Amino acid sequence: MDTLKLNIVTPNGEIFNNDINSVTLPGSDGEFGVLPGHAALVSLLSAGVIEIEKTSGKKELVAVNWGYCNVSEAEVTVLADGAIAILGDSESEVANAISKAKELIKSISDSNIAIATVEAKLESAGRNLI
Amino acid sequence: MANLKDIKRQIKSVKNTQKTTRAMKLVSTAKLRRTEEFAKKSKLYAKKINEVLSDIAMQIEHFKIGGIDSKFFAKNEKIEKVDIIFITADKGLCGGFNHQTIKTVKNLMSSFKDRKIKVRLRAIGRKGIDYFRFNEIELLDSVINLSSQPSYERAAEFMKRAVEDYLNGITDQIILIHNGYLNMITQQIKVVDLLPIKIDTVDIIEKTSLMEVEPKGDEELVLEQLVQKYLDYNVYYSLIDSLAAEHSARMQAMDNATRNAKEMVSQLTLDYNKARQASITTELIEIISGMESMK
Repeated sequence: MDTLKLNIVTPNGEIFNNDINSVTLPGSDGEFGVLPGHAALVSLLSAGVIEIEKTSGKKELVAVNWGYCNVSEAEVTVLADGAIAILGDSESEVANAISKAKELIKSISDSNIAIATVEAKLESAGRNLI
Repeated sequence: MANLKDIKRQIKSVKNTQKTTRAMKLVSTAKLRRTEEFAKKSKLYAKKINEVLSDIAMQIEHFKIGGIDSKFFAKNEKIEKVDIIFITADKGLCGGFNHQTIKTVKNLMSSFKDRKIKVRLRAIGRKGIDYFRFNEIELLDSVINLSSQPSYERAAEFMKRAVEDYLNGITDQIILIHNGYLNMITQQIKVVDLLPIKIDTVDIIEKTSLMEVEPKGDEELVLEQLVQKYLDYNVYYSLIDSLAAEHSARMQAMDNATRNAKEMVSQLTLDYNKARQASITTELIEIISGMESMK
């Protein structure tokens, strides 16, 4: 199966750079998924969660507070201000990352619906990770 | 001839100073390494944001009649008011590091004054603020504790105030001055025109492929947001760069101080030995002349 290259960069460094199967991004006009071979696209991202499906089939989440993405056929580049990857080996690490991610979203967004959506997503994903 | 005890005390005090300066040098070396690592990581972001900014700017220029009409880009207007943002360290003991920046700012100010351009100052870092306050030069905006601990959020907040003034037409140009890191032993003053952005200051990468822009039909919005980030990031990066330069300057200053202290100790030891010998000689003369008189 074809793969995509995903690159997430913040001012504090690169937080993700790997081949993936697909990615779902929180675009400013709505959420959209990207599969390999997607048409070229640039979009602003709103505060939300990036869902990554890795080549191993495992899912990974990254919360962002603002972002910009550039999609080409084989590559996706995401620039973000603040981004927190939700991963960890133990329950407490994941829980820690989730609470940090929530704070990040809360700090930027004032719409309760957006916060609630993001929180729900984080919670369910966190459960799957553990 | 100085008293033996005095010299001994002096040697001890110089040695203590030497210990301090040596420790400070080691601390700076360690901090420099960390800051360098930081700078390296965040350079990638700079590369990416440059790429996308030029991409979009190019696209808008090509496909929109009249080119870019965003306020952020150069318009050859007559410049009457300029804001200077400058970054100094929060702490001293780093040689001429802060003074170099202050000197550049002052030179620039007077050259603007000659051309009848109003200048306002925005300061980051305690040393620069102290200097201009002491000389009773007005500062429009000042932040401390930012240059010793660069934070993206606080840099963005600071920059937001400047950009607002620019967009409201209160100022026509924004210049950023900092003393940047070149290598372990050299620092270099960097003067950058932040706003208005000249398209050619952004590295243009020629691209012909068409891409879709979302939100649809609103390339300007995308561009504007990106420019905002570009500016924030530039200030943030300058802070990191300045911090690295500060540490390298302090390292050098402390190295020199340690060396000077070493020289001083050896000179003082020489004096001490001379004084000791002189006193022995005097004592000998006294004993001998005493014996002679007994004969």
